[in-house]
Amino acid sequence: MPRIAMRLGRLALVLLCVALVSFGLMMLSPIDPVDAYLGPQVAQVSPEQRALIAERWGFDAPPAVQFGHWLRQLASGDLGWSHVYNQPVSEVIGQRFQRSIVLLASAWLVSALLGFALGVMAGAKEGSPLDKMISTYAYLTASTPAFWLAMLAVLLFSVTLGWAPTCCAGPAGVLDQDVTLTTRLHHLVLPVATLALLGIANITLHTRTRMLALMRSDIAIHAFAQGAGRFDVAWRHGLRHASLPAVTLAFASLGELFGGSILIEQVFAYPGLGQATVAAGLRSDIPLLLGIALFTALFVSIGNLVADTLYGVIDPRLTTGGS
Amino acid sequence: MITPQPRLRAMLSLSITAVFIGGLIASQWLLTDSVQRMQFGARLAPPSLEHWLGTDALGRELWARTLAGLALSFWVGCLAALLSTLIALSLAALATLSARLDALVSLLIDTLLSVPHLILLMLIAFALGGGTQAVIIAVAVTHWPSLARVLRAELWQLRQAPYVHISRALGKSRWFVLHGHLLPHLLPHCLVGALLLFPHAILHEAALTFLGFGLSPSQPAIGVLLAEAMRYLNGGYWWLGVFPGLGLLLMVLMFERLSSQLRRAL
Amino acid sequence: MTKATRPILLGIALSCLAAISTAQAKDQLILAIGGEPEQGFDPLLGWGQYGNPLFQSTLLSRGQDFTPQPELATKWSLSEDRLTWTLTLRGDARFADGTPVTADDVAYTFNTAAKAGGRADLSALAEATAIDEQTVTLRLHAPRITFIDQLLTLGIVPHAERENGYSEQYGRHPLGSGPYQLVEWQEGEQLIVERNPYFYGPTPDFERLVFLFTGEDATLSAAHAGQVDIAAIPPALAANVTTSMQRVIMESVDNRGILFPMQPDNGEHAASEAPIGNDVTADPAIRQAINLAVDRDTLVEVALHGFGRPAFGPADGLPWSSDEERIDAPDLAQAKGLLDAAGWELHDDGLRYKEGLPARFRLTYPSSDTTRQLLAEVSAEMVRPLGIEMQPTGRHWDDIQRHALHQDAILFGFGSHSPQEVYYLFHSQHAGNGYYNSGFYTNSAVDTHLDAAQAAPSSEKANRHWQAAQWDGTTGYGLRGDASWAWLVNLEHVYFADTCLDVGELGVAPHGHGWPITANLLEWRWVCD
Repeated sequence: MPRIAMRLGRLALVLLCVALVSFGLMMLSPIDPVDAYLGPQVAQVSPEQRALIAERWGFDAPPAVQFGHWLRQLASGDLGWSHVYNQPVSEVIGQRFQRSIVLLASAWLVSALLGFALGVMAGAKEGSPLDKMISTYAYLTASTPAFWLAMLAVLLFSVTLGWAPTCCAGPAGVLDQDVTLTTRLHHLVLPVATLALLGIANITLHTRTRMLALMRSDIAIHAFAQGAGRFDVAWRHGLRHASLPAVTLAFASLGELFGGSILIEQVFAYPGLGQATVAAGLRSDIPLLLGIALFTALFVSIGNLVADTLYGVIDPRLTTGGS
Repeated sequence: MITPQPRLRAMLSLSITAVFIGGLIASQWLLTDSVQRMQFGARLAPPSLEHWLGTDALGRELWARTLAGLALSFWVGCLAALLSTLIALSLAALATLSARLDALVSLLIDTLLSVPHLILLMLIAFALGGGTQAVIIAVAVTHWPSLARVLRAELWQLRQAPYVHISRALGKSRWFVLHGHLLPHLLPHCLVGALLLFPHAILHEAALTFLGFGLSPSQPAIGVLLAEAMRYLNGGYWWLGVFPGLGLLLMVLMFERLSSQLRRAL
Repeated sequence: MTKATRPILLGIALSCLAAISTAQAKDQLILAIGGEPEQGFDPLLGWGQYGNPLFQSTLLSRGQDFTPQPELATKWSLSEDRLTWTLTLRGDARFADGTPVTADDVAYTFNTAAKAGGRADLSALAEATAIDEQTVTLRLHAPRITFIDQLLTLGIVPHAERENGYSEQYGRHPLGSGPYQLVEWQEGEQLIVERNPYFYGPTPDFERLVFLFTGEDATLSAAHAGQVDIAAIPPALAANVTTSMQRVIMESVDNRGILFPMQPDNGEHAASEAPIGNDVTADPAIRQAINLAVDRDTLVEVALHGFGRPAFGPADGLPWSSDEERIDAPDLAQAKGLLDAAGWELHDDGLRYKEGLPARFRLTYPSSDTTRQLLAEVSAEMVRPLGIEMQPTGRHWDDIQRHALHQDAILFGFGSHSPQEVYYLFHSQHAGNGYYNSGFYTNSAVDTHLDAAQAAPSSEKANRHWQAAQWDGTTGYGLRGDASWAWLVNLEHVYFADTCLDVGELGVAPHGHGWPITANLLEWRWVCD
């Protein structure tokens, strides 16, 4: 299908641009690239060694050449060395993404399902107490700083009530492979809940709007005229009409989800990709920062691609003209 | 149920917001010392009549620091929203000048939108070496794409208008059309866009400073206050975390409400 | 499931969990004391400098009364000319892979450390030679009274040429003859170690130790939740102890102070490309004024919650520091007078200026350290009335090394059982050497005193020279002389420990980022059932 091919082509182009922009930003930064490469060893390395490293990584070449060099390294799978974690960047991302994916996937599912359900319930009967409650809740959470909510959750459920652990992916002292599924889930409950909260709000509000539009549409009026009840209409027609936009929105909101996970992982000291990003940024680990930027861009782009395709499916009118 | 005119509601929101902001700015004038004043005898005091929102580990009044933090967020948000709108407007206008430029701008928008907001923020703040300026620029640069998209779509529609065709037929340059006809129509959209941007801007600024980028830890940004509060959560010093966040939430809600009212009114 | 079986199953599950956790508590100890070494557990790169490298053994160890005790070495002696150490090793010391520790390993360790350029400074060593399987000699270039420190702190690594010998990866796979061996190290998270079955000393009580490297916040949470058995707590946060825990205090010579860059900014850079010099702190009037203005008692109260005492020098209370080095109370008037006399004029904005230069500079501290942040913020506040603006700035250590190390005032911590540290901090030879003397302090009179101390024939004579370096009547590195530092406080190390954990007699800790408490690890016991 040519449309998909076109879309994929654009995705590749966008990723290239992301690489360009990120690389450009790193060039701008006040960090000397050799320093960034060396990390804490910077004080112990002789000037000769610095020159050697600069030569090997092409730091002394003009920016355009450096970019080409870096792209070639990327293409061959070498994302560089992370001095913060003392491992190849690809390994860091691989390991940490494995931990984050559980968090992200669960939060994504929860927010999509719950958001949709709440949106349908709210939109089914505009102005009802249920609607008011749900919309107020969604409105509020959409405006709340995610990390503050996470802090409150820790305060309430971990510190005061002691129902959930305060940190990390697993209990102290247990080897990674020995952690049981239940324990993992126990440690995931609060982070997933707080991460999902924001996504729920957005999806709820959008689904609600869609439902409201549906309830006023001709189809609904027709059904009402035939004696169908509100919830009946909502169930039969609403679900079909509002579900695809909700899914589309869910895919498009991957970016926000990633951003949220960075904050949540920080609050809960969850050792995932988000925490690695913050460490990389604060400790000038440029290879890791660039690697993560590209990786997440890939993820989000794929999400956007799926969203766009789905959107085209629901509303063919929107595939022509500007996005 | 009689709903008041949308304009009236908008005016009400606007006045409440203006009063709040006025009060916030005035408080910074009057308060300069309380923010920093350390009362060693009253460290980590819970909220009471004497210490309205409690004090922090160095005995500084939390209400003073929260207000200072909100004021800082406001300034950062304002400057970032302004800068963002300017960038969005210029780039959207640029996009209408030729098809090639349009493709370029659209590519740029897609690029910036495909990196998660916070990661892009961190990249930019890092590239600029941290500090308040870096935060403002970072927030501005990450928020213009969505506004630019809207403006670009608007501009495309406006370009189809008859008077534009007439203007072009009469030999007026593209610039003139842009300047004289299109931009004035965009201004209300810009205003609403900027206002919509504002709450996002301050939430992102808080997130950035919370993570440790940007401002120095001694500056009472809301993010900084919350990051410090994390240390003391376990000791049961709940007020350190609750009040700054609450303040931020209220400010964001106020501006969200204002922008939605204005959107309906306009 | 019927209504009855569900609660029963739940009960069984919970009791199983409880049983597992209590069963583990006896064999496994969980510690959150911080101090993850970025360079790995390599003695040649600085691991274990404070004295008790967990995985390796040292030749001698410091007894409770600070006298050297046998460890790997059972007999030791220094030659008449004070140039050669001769040590006899014990016969039953073995590495964790079962192979015996020989004099070759010891010689290799010392020779390589002298060349490695890591934190261990063995420039005094000429050569280490293995005379036979059990005897080794260490020959020095010149007499050096502090060389015994190396015997007390340098962990012995296996010779590179043997199987499992020393290599570049040693830091992550440390093979040693110490009481524990490394099982797994998840960097940034935790370290799991197990008993070394071949250890020559008494068998430690705990089969397994887990060291958590979570940050201060997570450590505190874990402590409050009862998930760790012992946790290092910043003193300011040590007010509320949970019911199942007790507060354990370890005395220390650990201190915190403000290092001032001593050179003006001439545009020079260190080997690491970090800029050198600060025009404001290079002025002695500024340094002395700051020393006079800070209220150290209040600092102890506010930043340390009372767990500490004022500090006026790097080695307060130790024999190589003078008792007369003291400021009884802050004297703002005198400080202002000093500044006025030096040409620092107070302008309307509350800041002092000298020939257009504002009295303003950054006071940098490691961002993850609560205590240092509090010290920085409070001292900045105390110095403000003088018209000096110190800007507390939090940075990660990487960043500090890259930029701030030689141009900002830095809130450092030191503290050692040996006067060698004084040598590192104030001798011009070590100017710009990593974190030692990063302010580029140079004073030839002080150098002379320090060298004389190293060459002294006895500790008593050496101490007189060490004290002269601090103040000899004319000049010195201390308060009465160059005031190269503004030492602030001596800390007490505060820990929350499970009430069932008996940590025995804790000694006096040096500066060591958490590890010093493990000095008597072999005496720790779990006293509950």
